[in-house]
Amino acid sequence: MLQKFRYAKPRDKSELHALLAEYGKSAKLLAGGTDLLVNIRSGSQKPAIVIDVKKVTGFSGISWSAKEGLIIRPAVTINEVLGDAAVREKFPLLMECAHDLASYQIRNRATVIGNIVNASPCSDMAPGLLCLEARIVISSKRGERELPLVEFFTGVKKTVLREDEFVERIVVPAAAAGARGSYKKLKRINGHDLGIVGVALMKKDGLLRLGISSSAPTPVLVDGLRETDPEEKVAAAARKATSPISDVRCSQEYREFMIETFVKRLCREVK
Amino acid sequence: MRIKLSVNGSAYERDVEEHKTLLRFLREDLGFTGTKEGCGAGECGACTVFMNGKTVNSCMVLAVEADGAEVETIEGEAEAGKLSAIQAAFDRHHAIQCGFCTGGMVMSVRELLRSNPKPSVDEIKQGIEGNFCRCTGYQQIIEAVLDVSGQLGPGNKGELKHA
Amino acid sequence: MLENTDPAALAFVGKAERRVDAVEKVTGDAVYTSDMNMPGMLYAQVKKSPHARARILRIDTSKAEALSGVRAVIVGSELNYKLGLYVVDKDILAKTEVRHYGEAVAGVAADTIEIAKEAVELIEVEYEVLPAVLNHMDALKPDAPLVHPDLGHYDYVPVFSPQPNTNIPNLSKCRKGDVEKGFAESEWIVEREYTNPSVQHVPMETHVAIVEWKNGDAVTIWTSAQSPFTVRNLFCYTFKLPLNNVRVIVPHVGGGFGGKAGIHLEPLAACLSRKAGGRPVKLQATREEEFSLLPCRSALTYRIKTGVRSDGKILAQELTLYWDAGAYADYAVNVTRASSYSGAGPYDIPNVKLDAYTIYTNKPYGTAYRGFGHVEFFWGLERHLELVANVIGMESLEFRKLNLLKPGSLTITGERIAEHSGDPTKCLEAAAKAINYGRLTKEEAEREKRTGRKIGKGIATLHKAPAMPSFTATAAVVKMNSDGSVIVNIALTEIGQGSATAIQQIAAESLRFPLSKVKVTIEKDTDKEPYDWQTVASKGIILSGNATVLACEDLLRQAYADAAQVLRAQPVDLDHDADKIFVRHRPDESVSFAQLSVGYAFPDGNAIGGPLIGVGRYVAQGLSNLDKETGQGLPALDWTFGAHGVIVEVDLETGEYKIIKIASVFDVGKVINPDIVRGQAIGGMIQGLGTAICEGYIYDEKGHLLNPSFTDNKIPTAKDLPEEIESIAVETAQIDGPFGARGVGEHPMISVAPALGNAIRQATGAELLHMPIRFEDVWRAMRKRVPIDNWITKTPTGSCRSDPATRLHSPDSAAAP
Repeated sequence: MLQKFRYAKPRDKSELHALLAEYGKSAKLLAGGTDLLVNIRSGSQKPAIVIDVKKVTGFSGISWSAKEGLIIRPAVTINEVLGDAAVREKFPLLMECAHDLASYQIRNRATVIGNIVNASPCSDMAPGLLCLEARIVISSKRGERELPLVEFFTGVKKTVLREDEFVERIVVPAAAAGARGSYKKLKRINGHDLGIVGVALMKKDGLLRLGISSSAPTPVLVDGLRETDPEEKVAAAARKATSPISDVRCSQEYREFMIETFVKRLCREVK
Repeated sequence: MRIKLSVNGSAYERDVEEHKTLLRFLREDLGFTGTKEGCGAGECGACTVFMNGKTVNSCMVLAVEADGAEVETIEGEAEAGKLSAIQAAFDRHHAIQCGFCTGGMVMSVRELLRSNPKPSVDEIKQGIEGNFCRCTGYQQIIEAVLDVSGQLGPGNKGELKHA
Repeated sequence: MLENTDPAALAFVGKAERRVDAVEKVTGDAVYTSDMNMPGMLYAQVKKSPHARARILRIDTSKAEALSGVRAVIVGSELNYKLGLYVVDKDILAKTEVRHYGEAVAGVAADTIEIAKEAVELIEVEYEVLPAVLNHMDALKPDAPLVHPDLGHYDYVPVFSPQPNTNIPNLSKCRKGDVEKGFAESEWIVEREYTNPSVQHVPMETHVAIVEWKNGDAVTIWTSAQSPFTVRNLFCYTFKLPLNNVRVIVPHVGGGFGGKAGIHLEPLAACLSRKAGGRPVKLQATREEEFSLLPCRSALTYRIKTGVRSDGKILAQELTLYWDAGAYADYAVNVTRASSYSGAGPYDIPNVKLDAYTIYTNKPYGTAYRGFGHVEFFWGLERHLELVANVIGMESLEFRKLNLLKPGSLTITGERIAEHSGDPTKCLEAAAKAINYGRLTKEEAEREKRTGRKIGKGIATLHKAPAMPSFTATAAVVKMNSDGSVIVNIALTEIGQGSATAIQQIAAESLRFPLSKVKVTIEKDTDKEPYDWQTVASKGIILSGNATVLACEDLLRQAYADAAQVLRAQPVDLDHDADKIFVRHRPDESVSFAQLSVGYAFPDGNAIGGPLIGVGRYVAQGLSNLDKETGQGLPALDWTFGAHGVIVEVDLETGEYKIIKIASVFDVGKVINPDIVRGQAIGGMIQGLGTAICEGYIYDEKGHLLNPSFTDNKIPTAKDLPEEIESIAVETAQIDGPFGARGVGEHPMISVAPALGNAIRQATGAELLHMPIRFEDVWRAMRKRVPIDNWITKTPTGSCRSDPATRLHSPDSAAAP
């Protein structure tokens, strides 16, 4: 069971700003709850108030336009992403990252922004979004700021977000539409599991990028590669950028090996 | 906080503590004990219910989030004492042993068939991936779903063989 | 009994009848202990030790007691009771020392669960952390700290042999023939060591009990448990109460798998209720507590040395089993004992030396778990026989067949196997055939070419007899209702395995009544059901099935005696159908069961007879105690033999693998209900697969459990099923089983892991010695890198692998004499 907290359901952004300004650190935002409620139950997070963002005006929906790109808002769930025609047509890499995230019931609640803000090194969505050069739009009473996703993560479950800030949008630039890509996730079983390692590989316009999870304190972007680069060069770049550890799930050695194997196989498979 | 919701088509209104999960609210406040707690952390699916037409792990949903929502649980599956097609298939195929996962499992099966009326075996496995069963080994559940979706034949019926 | 009944004459036995409990379970109507509420009920929470071993210096409960809504707080120093099924070594709450991570040190009962949880957090405990003994091989060293220094003073059941002043609560032995002579005559001697970790049962319903300790020491217990009479009897033994004071009620149970076979949360809930003035107290384990407060399955180090003659006949087996039982003996000493008479497998071996040790360590303790030790030791045994076949250059299937028990063979305890014992060869051959063992089919060869992955096939045999006292007994009562229908009361508990349905079928068959007229009670109540020992050991169908047949015969005898008076005939002149008893040569002369059911009234008002109630009792026949030095005796009610065949596909680069097919074969004697047998076969096989591929406890070097939840303690989902499953029954009738049946509840789990290990070896050459078999382990074994400690990469001794200094040879060595 969960320890006590208060619940608020702001209807618009200014209400949300006010709540965050008032409660600061003792507030946690609730979208899908699939990380937050687990953490409250285990005692690793003890908010005094939980602020539900799902009903805030303008916080729902995915939209796509050739001008603005793909916009993902706070209430958008993983299953919504999987059901979206624009994502399916233009961002198949995101479909792959989303597909194997937890279980169906979790995907009905877990949100993309929640997954990113949780900033777990094991994030499934981050590798794909990093490859696609997604941008994060952060909002607070003081205004908006935007930065590339790669600058958003600062450590294990740590982000640049200040006490009174929240992520209002994830934007995948229109230029990334049509990128070919795939995601490989190593699990302990065939059923739903956290990623032991996760590698996304994207190719577009001659460029090649990797997004790698469970291999460093944050999800990692490997940039500056070309589609024509030989496998070994791509693998070497991945090695250089990652520093997997041994833990209860896997040894460092096997993680290193599987990152390299996934990278090489993806180089071959993504045409 | 005061919430109003419908459960299996009937309206309910209650005061509920803000930190209480939908699972506990259904079981303790409303007496719908057919939905079970297996882990409390969104892993096992024993607590699966429909909320506004989507299956969710109710241990990971706050009761206050269900204000204004339509919730469906296993108690609403049979109508006027008559088993639904899914329930009847579970009975026919011995898709139940201890029964603890069954409430949530039936919900996931219903959702699977709603979105995919003729799922393949792999799609069925994917559809119930989030529902642990420790007793049956899933196979007879899969056969029940194949049956209910009109896909069970002599080739895939699944029987105990004799040597 | 009735094993020769012509199958064509059977109306219900052998048919896929529906489960009696399906409708209430599939509608959400079924009530489990976790669903129940009592008037005035309080909620309990437990304060648990964060340390593997520590002295309790001080517990301050004052803040907890002061919290509004708290009705009782208890600590170990208040309770002077000792618990233990076989070795009485456990306190209800730790008194002066905690012995494992997660052990209970205090309990709270409060008006709501939130208040109870808050109160637990307010309890202050000061510990002095002590050096823990975590590795069972370390626990055997002379300077190891003693987990139970008072072992020599504990009460214990005399079949066990605790070794005072050690960490060994039991040593069981088996000696058959002369192993040294056997080895001397062997062409080959192969020895190796195999290991597996602790594992949790993971019932979907965690342990839960509601206990009400009323005035006059009248206690009612509602509990999710497998054995109501064991709960009652152990409870009364502990609290020194007459048995009639305590009533145990078991509603629907959300899975047990052995973890609920004994007594667990009930005593603590009871003490809280008593202290709270008799209000009912509900104590339910969270999933995390299920993994650490509640017990698990012992870990094992299995050493085996096999001597083989030049023609492939095994001449000698020397086995040493080191069971890591954790902090308390619980069932583990009996698992050790069972392994001592079963640990050499279904093989005809003239010379055996087996020593099996139960070893205390400072970890969550091992209890009964489906298979009762057999899943654990068959891993080593069947992997080893594969190695031996390989070393001597004999085909694996032929090697096993040469050595399997056959009619006339003696087991390692001196029991003579007969035709009707069962047919392990037939099981093994059927499993091998079902996977086309020894060759690849055209499709498989094409698949290999297409995918670049390698396909391998493996087989393994299994056997188990119920591990139970030689005098295990049960009874059944069949009562007729006034409409001629019957209720069957048995204390064999329906925990999902389908026992209630099987008993219904047996009763209906025995009475020649339709199923619709036969009800079997689901809720068990020690005040109402007649005694049954426990719902464990796969003995239910034999003992309770027989008792049910006898009870039905008894009922019919009474009915016939009454009918004979009514019809003015002799019982031998009578026959019956579903509704009535009639004179055979004048069938119009009849009296209905309904008329007889609660006494028969003549037209003039005179009455004879009375309520028709049949009683049947059955005790295990002909079993004998095992000699303490040699292990010789007759422990086995019956043997269920079986085998698995596994087809696996392995990625030779990464070690990732996928299971293409598992075929499982069991000699069940007589299939009472094919869908239920299949459900047990597949359910058990998947649970066995879990233990083979991903399950196991992971500790750090201080004994903290690192994976006490589903996040890192994975169990199989639907997506983990093999692509194809086949379940096959062999029916070699068990003469003393009902209609020839014997049990199969545990067996499907056994030997799945070694069949998989053997298949992987066949595909890749990788020798796996430790279970579970993770992808990483296959990768390492393929490259012959030194197997890392599977569990923790930073700990020097590991959680359950043997100390490297005491390990036997590496995978490649097989010493010839």
